Amino acid sequence: MLPFEEQIVSDLMEDPNGGLVVLSSGLPLSSLVASLLLLHHPSRGSLLILSASDSQKSSISRCLLLLQNPNPNLPSDVPGDLPSHHRAALYSSGAALFVTPRILVADLLTSRCVPSAVASLLILNAHRLSDTSTEAFIARLLRAQPNSPLIPVLAFSDRPHAMVSGFAKAERVMKCLFVRRLHLWPRFHVLVSADLEKEPPEVVDIRVPMSPAMKGIQSAVLEAMDACLKELRRTNKVDVEDLTVEKGLFKSFDEIVRRQLDPIWHTIGKKTKQLVSDLKTLRKLLDYLVRYDAVTYLKYLDTLRVSEGVRSVWIFADSSHKIFELAKKRVYQVVRADDMKISTDNKTTPGKKRRMINDEKEKEIEKEASSSKAGDRKIDASGGIVLEEVLEEAPKWKVLRELLEEIEEERRKEKQSTGQPMPEAASDSSDIVLVACKDERSCLQLEECISKGQHQVMREEWGKYLLGKAELHGLRKRNRKKSQEPKGFGVLDGMIASGSSENAQPSSISKLENDALLAAASEISNLAKEEIEVGDNPKINSRRKVGKGRGTGRGKGKSRKAITNVQAPGNKRKKSAENDKIQPISAETEGPPSNSDRPLEGTSHESGLEDLMDLKPLPPVQFYALDSDQHIFNVLKPSVIIAYHPDMTFVREIEIYKAENPTKKLKVYFLFYEDSTEVQKFEASIRRENGAFESLIRQKSLMMIPVDQNGRCIGPSASNEVQSINLPNSATRKAGGRKPLEKEMQVIVDMREFMSSLPNVLHQKGMRIIPVTLEVGDYVLSPLICVERKSIGDLFQSFASGRLYNQVETMIRYYRIPVLLIEFSQDKSFSFQSANEIGDDVSPTNIISKLSLLVLHFPRLRLVWSRSVHATAEIFASLKANQDEPDETKAMRVGVPSEDGIVENDVRAENYNTSAIEFLRRLPGVTDSNYRALMDNCKNLAELALLPVERLAELMGGQKAARTLKEFLDAKCPTML
Amino acid sequence: FASSSGQNRNAILVSHRQKGNPLLKHIRNVRWMFADIVCDYLLGQGSCALYISLRYHLLHPDYLYYRIRELQKDFKLRVVLCHVDVEDVIKPLHEVTRTALLHDCTLLCGWSFEECARYLETIKVYENKPADSIREQMDTDYLSRLTHALTSIRHVNKTDVVTLGSSFGSLSRIMDASMEELARCPGIGERKVKRLYDTFHEPFRRVS
Repeated sequence: MLPFEEQIVSDLMEDPNGGLVVLSSGLPLSSLVASLLLLHHPSRGSLLILSASDSQKSSISRCLLLLQNPNPNLPSDVPGDLPSHHRAALYSSGAALFVTPRILVADLLTSRCVPSAVASLLILNAHRLSDTSTEAFIARLLRAQPNSPLIPVLAFSDRPHAMVSGFAKAERVMKCLFVRRLHLWPRFHVLVSADLEKEPPEVVDIRVPMSPAMKGIQSAVLEAMDACLKELRRTNKVDVEDLTVEKGLFKSFDEIVRRQLDPIWHTIGKKTKQLVSDLKTLRKLLDYLVRYDAVTYLKYLDTLRVSEGVRSVWIFADSSHKIFELAKKRVYQVVRADDMKISTDNKTTPGKKRRMINDEKEKEIEKEASSSKAGDRKIDASGGIVLEEVLEEAPKWKVLRELLEEIEEERRKEKQSTGQPMPEAASDSSDIVLVACKDERSCLQLEECISKGQHQVMREEWGKYLLGKAELHGLRKRNRKKSQEPKGFGVLDGMIASGSSENAQPSSISKLENDALLAAASEISNLAKEEIEVGDNPKINSRRKVGKGRGTGRGKGKSRKAITNVQAPGNKRKKSAENDKIQPISAETEGPPSNSDRPLEGTSHESGLEDLMDLKPLPPVQFYALDSDQHIFNVLKPSVIIAYHPDMTFVREIEIYKAENPTKKLKVYFLFYEDSTEVQKFEASIRRENGAFESLIRQKSLMMIPVDQNGRCIGPSASNEVQSINLPNSATRKAGGRKPLEKEMQVIVDMREFMSSLPNVLHQKGMRIIPVTLEVGDYVLSPLICVERKSIGDLFQSFASGRLYNQVETMIRYYRIPVLLIEFSQDKSFSFQSANEIGDDVSPTNIISKLSLLVLHFPRLRLVWSRSVHATAEIFASLKANQDEPDETKAMRVGVPSEDGIVENDVRAENYNTSAIEFLRRLPGVTDSNYRALMDNCKNLAELALLPVERLAELMGGQKAARTLKEFLDAKCPTML
Repeated sequence: FASSSGQNRNAILVSHRQKGNPLLKHIRNVRWMFADIVCDYLLGQGSCALYISLRYHLLHPDYLYYRIRELQKDFKLRVVLCHVDVEDVIKPLHEVTRTALLHDCTLLCGWSFEECARYLETIKVYENKPADSIREQMDTDYLSRLTHALTSIRHVNKTDVVTLGSSFGSLSRIMDASMEELARCPGIGERKVKRLYDTFHEPFRRVS
């Protein structure tokens, strides 16, 4: 542990109330937690760790392993499906446990976990808390009793910027956790920077220029963003100061905008809403521009165009046209055949000559020539449209490769000069070069780039892209049919004939372009087919082309089009045996080109393939995805780190690693795209964090946390709220004398509802919460009253899915007074829509229509409209006033199908793969009556997908349903276009 | 008389008490006429509505209770149409909710005269409409069915559905895909990959 970490721990332990620690992101949160776990002793009770993510759990365990070898005392998980008495035993064992808030709160309420058995409570991700969240509920259950022992609450957050969102967030979080100390540990803290900067790693900052097309796309996206922002500002609904393109680069930007717009969300027009979502899309486009290769990027754009379609505003803007154009240009170009001379004039003479031949009648020969010779153009038979492949590589790829080569070379030199391996090299892992990328996908792709070469990777992506296009058009089918008819021209068998008929009429460029794409695609698929059919011959052929493609790409740089293997005209390739005969002919007609190409091909072969394999050896490389959140420094012990996608958190982690291993030599390379938003984003993220800390420091100086005489924190105004419940109670009582509330009110709450804050608030109001698993309804207030609670989002969603109808139906079946509670959110507007949004006609999609229909069909359903959770709690109290208390065992049995016995007090989601069941129930052919049989007889959905139709029919009790399902599962996706 | 009653059946009958209510201006999709009725609006054979604005309720807290008491029991659907026209809604709305609920009335809230009028119109227009549009169902074309199914998995959006569809070709291939294959799809991040994979590969029942 570094000195500053020890300081954090000892500061935190000073106050018996505990405290809230806010760290810069990337500082070693998990090793802090680990050291706190080491300090824990089972005799004092159990230590509960709340809200840890999976990756945090594993990294905490890893830190413990390091600190506490050889037999560490690792905290164990408390799974929800563990039988309740086992859970109770775990709580009282005094061990350190990871618990989810939902389980813990239910266990506390049912006294399976008693507060006296808890030594301390550790809460991670404190930035997610609010005073109505379940963690706050737990803190209150543990701390609110004035006579209970003082259980320290230790809360952590490494997202300072999230801690300052909203008004006095830190203070509110602290109050609801009953702590009074705020510990701030920014990266610029004196102790932190002293520790980290003692032996800083050697840093090399490499700026890679973006290709012109990338720059173009970037500026176009930024332009579109700016336009969207301007448009948004014009609505006068948002605070202009927050709307800058810089902030637009972050995910949290959406939150900023939404927080401002949420209270008035119903009053803003469709266009504004669309703008907000467009901004999100655009931000993604910027991000993917530096992360994805050109082909994948284009593919993503295509997908976007299909899925966003007509709704988006930005898709129609000028700049977005540019985005699409440039993205396409990075991959391929479409040129008219008659323009070709002009367009190729500046190229080498061979190219020109070949073009001349193109105009000649002997198309056959030309085709033959280009096929055997790896021509890079596809010619649409009638329209004269040529597809040129550009396949621009990501500039960083090349730089990465060179960098790796350089590293290896340096190492060799060093070895030679010292004459023996360096001392560190003794530990074999230390010569690993760690390349850190944003996501797993980039890792895989870079790995391929290193092993296969960049061009190959691009070609594969391109092939996949084309095949995808072809499949969309159901080309293969048509193709097979047509290719049987003899065709006059060879290049484009079959499908182009269909294309050509369209081309006969003057058609738009995009049409021609599409045809050209399809032609290319069909060739690729033919190629694949024939490689199987013919065997070795074409393979040799195609390999030669690989070399050539690489050669031209290399030789002439990025401006020249790299060539791929898609040029081969399909049915002619079958005559590969004749190739040799034809070759001389073509050599005659176009002698110079082939001659000049040959040597090129040779050299390229060397420069292309051999530098991959032999010439320049590479050091061992390990790829690492930042998203995966695994901390692998201590496992791999790299001496060189290349930050392929620079990230602030990762930088801090490197610093910590270096500081923990001061003797180790460490060199860090950063790969930035020059003048890109990548750089901006990196710098802005540091600025943003510092800003957040400055604001927190200011807040800390003004903070007021009340404590009682013994220095214990008094929670958030607990006393006056208990009273409020009695008021409406006594006032509305009509009959009978005024009895004081001797018995506390009880509410039965469905386990799943602990995701919401209503149980917490009900408890605040002094009600007893009984958590059980309910099959019908969310809350049972009395033997007669059952409530289905819907937040506004839920309401719309469950209307759309039809779930609400079913829920109401069952509730009506079992309860005298079924209630649908429509709960609005305090910080959002109290209404569905503004008057001008209602429209002139009764429209079936409007919420008014749906509610009316519901009410018409279920006249017994009672509606409760609540302004906020707190209002709901009051309504509940007043509805219960004249009623008996609900019976939990009865409530639980309601609506439970008799054949499958229900496990008491268990969370449904822990027993069932709820998402899979929901998915299953949405498949066509699957109904309420047959889905249980499917669940019982297949293990999971993957297995279901492979079942034969006969077996399905058995399970689903009918041929028709089974066929519907099977057909849907196996149907070809007719996407795009 | 027979013809006029036939006409009446297609119109909302409005009590004379409601004369001067600006809401009436906004009933445009259905005919309405004044009549001698106990409730404020007679919407059909078995349904009627009482209108109350929260502002009025604040002045006359007992009004709603007496009006409900007057209503005959033979209406299947008894709506209390509450016009939310005050800023500080919690207390008055709470009282209205309680009164309506305890006296077997369905409470509907509107925030403008337009919205209140629309509720009346809709209940009239939909008098005999089946519940199909709020029952479980979907568009029948392939993509919307696919979207409907896949978007039941959290965080999966429409763009992802198209991506998945075009990269794997069919739903059964998607369901059988490995984590790595899923991760290769553009726009499908770590979290989505795990969610998708878990949905398809975790057993339906976690405990045996």
